[in-house]
Amino acid sequence: MAKNKKSKGSGAYIFAGILLAIVYVINTFLVESIYWGNQTVSRQTSMAMNSLNRMNGELTAINTDCIGIAAGLKDAKDMPYIMMDTERRYGNIIAAQHQFEAIGGLSDEVMNRYNYTKSIITAYKSQLDSLGTKNVESGDYSQMGMIMKQDIYPLQVTASEMCTATIDTVTKDTQRIMAANTKKAFALMTAMMVVAILGEIAIWLFARRAKKARLELEEREKNLAEVDAKLKATRQKATDLAVTNVLTGMKNRYALDGDISDRLETGRFNIAVFDMDNFRSINDTYGYDFGDEYLAAVAEKLKEEFSDVAEIYNITGNEFCFVFNSNVSESQAMGIAQNIQRVMSSPYEVLNLAVQLPCSGAVYHYLPGDCLNVNSLLVKLDTALRSVKMNGGNMINTVMNM
Amino acid sequence: MNKEKRKGFFKAVTACTLTAAMLLSGGCGKQKEEKSKIAVITKQKLSFWSDVQMGAEDACNELGFELLYSVADGDNDYVSQEAAIQHAIKEHAAAIVIAPNGKTELNSAFEQAEKNGIKIININSRADYPGVISLIRSSDTEGGSVAARHAVEILKKNDENLTKLKNIAIIGHTASTAEDRISGFVDSFTNLASSAIAPDVMVENDQNPEKLAAAKQEKIEAYKKGIIKGTPCAKRDAAEEEAMKILTNSANEISVIFGTNTNTTLGICDAISELGLEDDIVVIGFNSDEEELGYIRTGVLDGTVVQNPYMMGYVGVRYAKRSLQGDNVPSILDTGTVYVDQTNLNTDFIQLLIYPRGKNDEDGNTEVGK
Repeated sequence: MAKNKKSKGSGAYIFAGILLAIVYVINTFLVESIYWGNQTVSRQTSMAMNSLNRMNGELTAINTDCIGIAAGLKDAKDMPYIMMDTERRYGNIIAAQHQFEAIGGLSDEVMNRYNYTKSIITAYKSQLDSLGTKNVESGDYSQMGMIMKQDIYPLQVTASEMCTATIDTVTKDTQRIMAANTKKAFALMTAMMVVAILGEIAIWLFARRAKKARLELEEREKNLAEVDAKLKATRQKATDLAVTNVLTGMKNRYALDGDISDRLETGRFNIAVFDMDNFRSINDTYGYDFGDEYLAAVAEKLKEEFSDVAEIYNITGNEFCFVFNSNVSESQAMGIAQNIQRVMSSPYEVLNLAVQLPCSGAVYHYLPGDCLNVNSLLVKLDTALRSVKMNGGNMINTVMNM
Repeated sequence: MNKEKRKGFFKAVTACTLTAAMLLSGGCGKQKEEKSKIAVITKQKLSFWSDVQMGAEDACNELGFELLYSVADGDNDYVSQEAAIQHAIKEHAAAIVIAPNGKTELNSAFEQAEKNGIKIININSRADYPGVISLIRSSDTEGGSVAARHAVEILKKNDENLTKLKNIAIIGHTASTAEDRISGFVDSFTNLASSAIAPDVMVENDQNPEKLAAAKQEKIEAYKKGIIKGTPCAKRDAAEEEAMKILTNSANEISVIFGTNTNTTLGICDAISELGLEDDIVVIGFNSDEEELGYIRTGVLDGTVVQNPYMMGYVGVRYAKRSLQGDNVPSILDTGTVYVDQTNLNTDFIQLLIYPRGKNDEDGNTEVGK
């Protein structure tokens, strides 16, 4: 039962452990995926930022040159170099655009803004080429100033504005993606948590139910054991009753039968029976209740005096049988028999009346194989006893071995 | 016992539900945060302002704002704009991006908005209010100047020295922006064509440079005075009538005719095509209505000056956001104008300018009035 109890409890714990382990493993993967997801987003963002900042930087540099030219800060002979610079810078812008376009996975909003930016930059460059460069080459400064002011500068400003707007949308996008990632992970983790909690609760409920069932079973088993013990006691009592004289509390003839049957064939022992002489006169004079009380008193005295040396049986009404212990010799048995006769025939006070009856006995030194059964043994003893009684009683006879 | 068991089970379920709810609500708390609002208030129901709206919408989407868009009933309707500002205050808008219909009429509303911590950005034109953080517009003077520059360029194609230069005619519209466009056009045109208007040969005998300059200036001023300016028109029909009057009276004396907005440009084109003067007179217009683009394709309209209303709306919202963040924003941004003619009409950039969300996305409202 103890083993059973243990295995029941640990089953739930093992299940709980496995459940927790699964939840943790899944959570680990989730954290991992969030980390890599955010890492990818960060990488994309920094690439996008990098290319957009490069575009914006080169645009500003080109524009600074343009303003320099329009303001007359640049020497006319340096124009070819400035134009070379512009071409190089525009080349960088195109490279940055390629870099940006290669990123992929950017949102529609970012791409819309970027495309807008790109077409403004393209328009800006074509304005530079078709108007600016031509006039720079021709050296028409008043025309150049006008073009600068009306066509090129606003385009550059708006291109730059759109560039930074694209940067802003990329930032927003990044925040959004990261927030979405985090939110997704949070939701999943929460779900896992809820699953774990529900699982634990289920296990707890299950364990509680199992414990309750176990306790009920134990209770029932205990009750059953009690009933069993009671039954055994009752049976024992019934058995005892069957082999006990209710009045004297001594073993009866059946008990004697059971006790010595096995010893008849090989046993060697001393056995005696004693009987009140004319006991019937007591019953007749004082009534059966009085007789019973008298017998009980005698039996009590006999037990007190002789249970050390012999097993005492109350085989019929007032007849007592003594099976002497094996260490009691034949002669000792005779002496004890005389003591028994003395004790039995001594006066007893029953219900404030002193009563005294003589008694007779028969002693038998049993030798192996003397009798086939207890019945014939008792017949032998009874015959000896009867012959004493026929001769006036108050004597002890000896069963003769034949 | 059964009842107790049920009680226990309910307790467990309740505890679990509460835990889950707490966890979930903890995570959702931030998500429920309301978007800040930006009010965008424009002048009238015309496609120019629809493009402004588009720009503002895109910016709000990209930057995470809620757009409160409203449009007045005309370019002098400051009453509904005032109501729109009040509405924005009531809605706890973070900023107002407005194309004001009036110089000072909205000042008390602006003051109230400012008291509520609302940032004020102007687009298209500036109100006379000190709290205006930034103005995003395309310069009307420069727009007129761009028109003049290209008119001169076209004339010079066939007549390098403008020896055949005749008078110019202008039909303006009724709003205040017309004057700036006209003055920009006139000043630039006379400046660029000054050698033809006041040729050196006329005054070569006079060796005094000051006198020479004065004489030239006098000549230019005289030319300016002689420019034919039609009565300002609000509608296309009126503009056509005005153009008809001018052209029938003096078609032979005119080299260039300039319309300052969509309706005047269309009226002029109607008259020119009716009279068959496409090849004789250079026609320069303003804005990019579908019909104007049609006239460009058929060669009636030589070119038109196009603004970028989408950019105004977009940058207006963007600057509002930046100033809300505490960043410095330029107090004025010129989004510029672009000259559109047959040669560049189909380029990506011009198409993007005319159709900010692609041609199919336009709402079909082709009436452009700014």
